[in-house]
Amino acid sequence: MAGVASSSRQRSRIAPYLMILPALAYLAVFFVVPFFSLARTSLSSSGGSVFMPKLTFAWDFGNYTDAFSLYQDQILRSFGYAFVATILCLLLAFPLAYVIAFKAGRYKNLLLGLVILPFFVTFLIRTLAWKTILADDGWVVDLLGTMGALPSEGRLLSTSWAVIGGLTYNWIIFMILPLYVSLEKIDPRLLEASRDLYSPNRRTFGKVILPLALPGVLAGSMLVFIPSVGDFINADYLGSTQTTMIGNVIQKQFLVVKDYPAAAALSLGLMALILVGVLLYTRALGTEDLV
Amino acid sequence: MANQIDPGLLSQFAIARTSRRRFLGGSAAAAAALALGGATLAACGSNDSGSTASSSAPADDGSPASGTLRVSNWPLYMADGFVAAFQKATGITVDYKEDFNDNEEWFAKNKEPLSRKQDIGADLAVPTTFMATRLHSLGWLNEISESAWSNKKNLRPDLLEADVDPGRKFSAPYMSGLVGIAYNRAATGRDIKTIDDIWDPKFKGKVSLFSDAQDGLGMLMLSQGGSVTQPTTEAIQKAADLVKEQKDKGQIRRFTGNDYADDLAAGNIAIAQAYSGDVVQLQADNPDLQFIVPESGGTTFVDTMVIPYTTQNQKAAEAWINYIYDRPNYAKLIAHTQYVPVLSDMTAELDKIDPKLGSNPLINPPKETLDKVKGWAPLTDEQTQEYNTIYAAVTGG
Repeated sequence: MAGVASSSRQRSRIAPYLMILPALAYLAVFFVVPFFSLARTSLSSSGGSVFMPKLTFAWDFGNYTDAFSLYQDQILRSFGYAFVATILCLLLAFPLAYVIAFKAGRYKNLLLGLVILPFFVTFLIRTLAWKTILADDGWVVDLLGTMGALPSEGRLLSTSWAVIGGLTYNWIIFMILPLYVSLEKIDPRLLEASRDLYSPNRRTFGKVILPLALPGVLAGSMLVFIPSVGDFINADYLGSTQTTMIGNVIQKQFLVVKDYPAAAALSLGLMALILVGVLLYTRALGTEDLV
Repeated sequence: MANQIDPGLLSQFAIARTSRRRFLGGSAAAAAALALGGATLAACGSNDSGSTASSSAPADDGSPASGTLRVSNWPLYMADGFVAAFQKATGITVDYKEDFNDNEEWFAKNKEPLSRKQDIGADLAVPTTFMATRLHSLGWLNEISESAWSNKKNLRPDLLEADVDPGRKFSAPYMSGLVGIAYNRAATGRDIKTIDDIWDPKFKGKVSLFSDAQDGLGMLMLSQGGSVTQPTTEAIQKAADLVKEQKDKGQIRRFTGNDYADDLAAGNIAIAQAYSGDVVQLQADNPDLQFIVPESGGTTFVDTMVIPYTTQNQKAAEAWINYIYDRPNYAKLIAHTQYVPVLSDMTAELDKIDPKLGSNPLINPPKETLDKVKGWAPLTDEQTQEYNTIYAAVTGG
């Protein structure tokens, strides 16, 4: 008997490692290797033939300083847009997730289904659809025009607001779902207890609901912010020549100019900036528990 | 005849069809390329391919073309029923793909396999002239066999003897067209004739320019007294500076690929740099759209069929080229794409399909238009790269 018990204990010790093996292998092949390749490229200098350049590894940090001094506007803009989009997502998603978690009753699953439903349509189509809705000759612009509520450009499409709106719209589901999960975990008896102690609603929200929902806020805002910073589809379709984001720059550097070291330096620099931002943010919210 | 297409049906398609190089898939493909970029970058430097002439075609063993032909072409650059008719006439199976969305992106995605002489999934592709020249200079194209291309005699003489490929050894022109200005007469309220008209403050935020350096800057250089047949860095820089100035003023709404057509049709853009065939197609829906070559001149482009040296079926690719160079067959393509024919004396064949086609000034441009348009000189790799870099800095990355 003792032998059986120890072998099963042994198996249970190995099992977790076996289970993460596929994910580790996946990460190694599709993240670690490309990451080092990208890092190497970003420090290389190119020479030789123009269209089949020879990259030589040279610790060329000039790639970073050049790229960042040339494209600082786009970098600042990307972080600004992503920040505003994240705040908007949070403001829109919190009440919705709250209602689904606490007030929806038997319609909970239906509402969750409705939240997910639009995302069965591809990203590209949904973004292009906004072009039709926000078109200069469309009724939305007409309506806002008569109300005098249009941005200074006198249009909606091809403005910063259209790009931020597109980012908000495309990534909001990644805010709603984590928020819902953390709100749904809250024991309703805690809210009752708070009410029993004569706490006004605002105080219940601030002292009970919000702290317990913080992991969802943190996870959601990172899931929205990180892809938004690097996004280029929204700026491409909904933006103008004044709203280019760093994703557009990187795309063009890779595919048109083919300056791989500059493109790689921008990609890695962006990664580093995001990482720093995320670390500061996590520390500020002071939570260890991500979801 | 089995491959005859009902002309009535054709004109219907001409109305329903959208623009040629519609951009929809482009950015998604770019996203994929970015995702893969890291993994393939390491290999970038490993191959130093020399500039050599194109490889000669494999030896002809006299057997007829057969098997499967994989064609990679621009979206909506083909006539309905055309592929089926070719299959029927030759017995060759065609795997026709509309996956050629952008010259530079296509190059970025295929240069690694090509440099290692690995199959790129296409036996024939349709790059624009400058890209065909680049592929040739890298030694990545097969020559097209004279004996299999008897209809070559139908090619326009000016294209046959073009500087980029005298005698057309490795590139077979497919379509040509004009790069000019399209505008919505209802939105502008007046005719547009010159480049200066584009910068009218009245059209602030309603103008789009091409993001491609040659198509975007060419007509601006001509208006500034520059030349595209003998381009200089100074002329390019001067044109790019003008674009930057107008961009900073908010005059230019977007830098586009082929996706200007949607915005033009939707009324978001009043004036756009445009390709002639696209506009002929759009006019069917919106008669207010006009296409002009600016008074100071515009440029032309020629898309060409080429056979990569990784082709799996050289003979079938040659049979395809020869089939297209047959005038009645080619007329069907033109009726669909509405571009300028690369074959000579097409008017009679076009009129058989629709009497209006042969006399359309954008399909059969009159002499005064042709006098105003110039073709770009073949650029060296260094020039192309330099011009792309200069213009990319303006188009904002």
